[in-house]
Amino acid sequence: MIVPLLSLVPGERGVVVDLRGGPNFRSRLYAMGLAPGAVVRVLENYPRGPVIIEVGGTRLALGKGMASRVFVRKL
Amino acid sequence: MAMRVVALAGNPNVGKTTIFNALTGMRQHVGNWPGVTVEKKEGVFEHKGERFLVVDLPGTYSLTAHSVDELVARNFLLNGNPDVVVDVVDATAVLRNLYLTMEIFEMGLKNVIIALNKVDLAEKKGIKIDPVKMSKALGVPVVPLNAKEGAGIEELKEKIWEMAHGMIKTNPVLPRYDPEVEREIEHISKCLAGTELADRYPLRWLAIKLLQRDDEVMKLVLRYLGEEKLKEIMTHIGEAEERYGRAMDLIIAGQKYEFIDGLTHEFMGYGKAKETLTDQLDRILVHPVYGFIAMAFVFYLVFKFVFAFGMPLQGILDDAFGRFGEWVAPHIANETLRGLLVDGVIGGVGSVLSFFPLVFLLFLALSFLEDLGYMARVAVLMEGILRKFGLPGKAIIPLILGLGCNVPAVMATRTLDEEKDRLVAMFVNPFIPCSARLSVISFLVGAFFGGDALVALAIYLLAFAVALLSAKLVSRFVSGEESPFVIELPEFLLPSWKSLLLHSWERSKEFVQKAGTVILVGSIIIWYLSNYPVPMGTGKSYAERLGHLVAPYLNLMGLDWKAGVSLIFGIIAKENVISTYSILYGGLTGDALKKAMMSAMSPLQGFVLAVVTTLYVPCIATIGAVRAESNWKWALAVTVYMITVASLLGILIWHVGTAMGL
Repeated sequence: MIVPLLSLVPGERGVVVDLRGGPNFRSRLYAMGLAPGAVVRVLENYPRGPVIIEVGGTRLALGKGMASRVFVRKL
Repeated sequence: MAMRVVALAGNPNVGKTTIFNALTGMRQHVGNWPGVTVEKKEGVFEHKGERFLVVDLPGTYSLTAHSVDELVARNFLLNGNPDVVVDVVDATAVLRNLYLTMEIFEMGLKNVIIALNKVDLAEKKGIKIDPVKMSKALGVPVVPLNAKEGAGIEELKEKIWEMAHGMIKTNPVLPRYDPEVEREIEHISKCLAGTELADRYPLRWLAIKLLQRDDEVMKLVLRYLGEEKLKEIMTHIGEAEERYGRAMDLIIAGQKYEFIDGLTHEFMGYGKAKETLTDQLDRILVHPVYGFIAMAFVFYLVFKFVFAFGMPLQGILDDAFGRFGEWVAPHIANETLRGLLVDGVIGGVGSVLSFFPLVFLLFLALSFLEDLGYMARVAVLMEGILRKFGLPGKAIIPLILGLGCNVPAVMATRTLDEEKDRLVAMFVNPFIPCSARLSVISFLVGAFFGGDALVALAIYLLAFAVALLSAKLVSRFVSGEESPFVIELPEFLLPSWKSLLLHSWERSKEFVQKAGTVILVGSIIIWYLSNYPVPMGTGKSYAERLGHLVAPYLNLMGLDWKAGVSLIFGIIAKENVISTYSILYGGLTGDALKKAMMSAMSPLQGFVLAVVTTLYVPCIATIGAVRAESNWKWALAVTVYMITVASLLGILIWHVGTAMGL
């Protein structure tokens, strides 16, 4: 099932399949490890705050807008 | 013989600065990369009697053309001819770090050494890396380090030396992509082969960058090969993307990681990862409720630290310079020269240097929080709120620092990643009432409102509101993309004191050099205006004449010529507003001055004066800082904008207040 990263709850994992955004958005994300194929685990998903994820051994905080444009296959 | 050049590359938060400091010690210099406000650090180390110049490149995750930092790093690697490139890799996040490494390899650089940092931390996280196998897999030497404790630094120097002397043969591994992608790379390579462009840059790198639609490389093709050729290549790429149904850069990035992942299996093993302290702390520190409480507490501590130690030191230095002036004065016979030296030069230098402890301590506290990894958490917390006003979350740091002193606050805007954010943040910072304005506000509120804290609070809230609304306004006029919000939350790591002190020292020194000259010139002008043609107090000095000159304008907001003189002198330093009133009232101070002012002005006038003093103009040191961090035009724009806003508000408050019968 392919869903936006934003919809994952803490503890859930997914494989990145697509980044839907402009070139700046894409390159920013994959340079930080969020490339197609990367396994992501959601640590926190605050209702009014950022989404905190773990990918490739590092923790990233993403704005809601960005997390809604990262598409993952739920694991 | 010219010094050999070592370029230090790596991701942010990997301990690159610590390695730089461990290599070069005190022999370093901080400046700017030409044409951009990106900090450039250079240092020298000696090994086996030979000196090496180390250039610290901006910490980046990749080498695209999307950000200034990345372009600076990339251009240096391409055109700076470094003899050796040291690529710092964080052992706790090898996969992501090697992405940058692969970009470096693809640029055709051969003399690369991997400095594998934080090996101890990785082991704690259950990550086992075999440096020998890693070196074999990557085709370049790998030196394991624990930079904080200095372990591995000598080995690194030795390897740099050997490599610079051609004693190490390397064979950097190049990422292989799927056959279809390789075919595209080959096709574009063929289009470019044999051209002048191919002589200057590695063919494969050009081809891959074109596939990623890299702006700078596209410009290169346009310049060297013309529009026809560029169009032909881009059409071809467009067709390929059509077939794939997605952007080529995304495909390449995914496959690059796949390749790296394959590599890491040859030298890396995962054990069982334990939950770290950082995991636990982050549950509080970025929490939408507890996080703010923690942040308020942290900034409270920073303020306590900076002002508890900084204020007395500032007083001592001020005193010392005052006494020095008094001591020098009798030794100079010529009255003009004496005034110039004692009031102008010594007073001016004194006020610059008396800032030094405050600035140094502020930078110390900030560097500590930054190196610790806490600033990233603050940025996450504030993003949601500040973004509404066109600022990134990180901009809270300069805004809060402004309450202490706007000069280091303006300098702290350089920690923001985007040029646009930096410009907006430094534009609105001078609105934040610094400690000098606190003294003016509390004096006036004491005089006209019996020290009612609510009035003072209202002025502060007004100032913050003006700053935020101005940010919203100005950010519309500054070109630049809104930075997408994604930020790394690095593992908390206690910074090394040596590194902190060094960094704060360099930055404060820079402040003295840059703001210093402006303050010095300002002090000399003040001295001149208030002593010529006759000393102030007679109504005939230039200063008083200037006051009368601007009086008609100030009348619009209910203020008189005395306010004019005070506000003009306040440009040098805001606390001058009160001391000038003191001179104008024949040397009255404290309660006597308050009484005199109260009989001359209504509370409404007092309130207008407090508001205008808070907002009307950045002090000269702050103007100097804005200029240093941007340019003269921007510093001028801030000044004009503030005068306008303060005037409008002053006029508004005065007229509304009078209409209400206040």
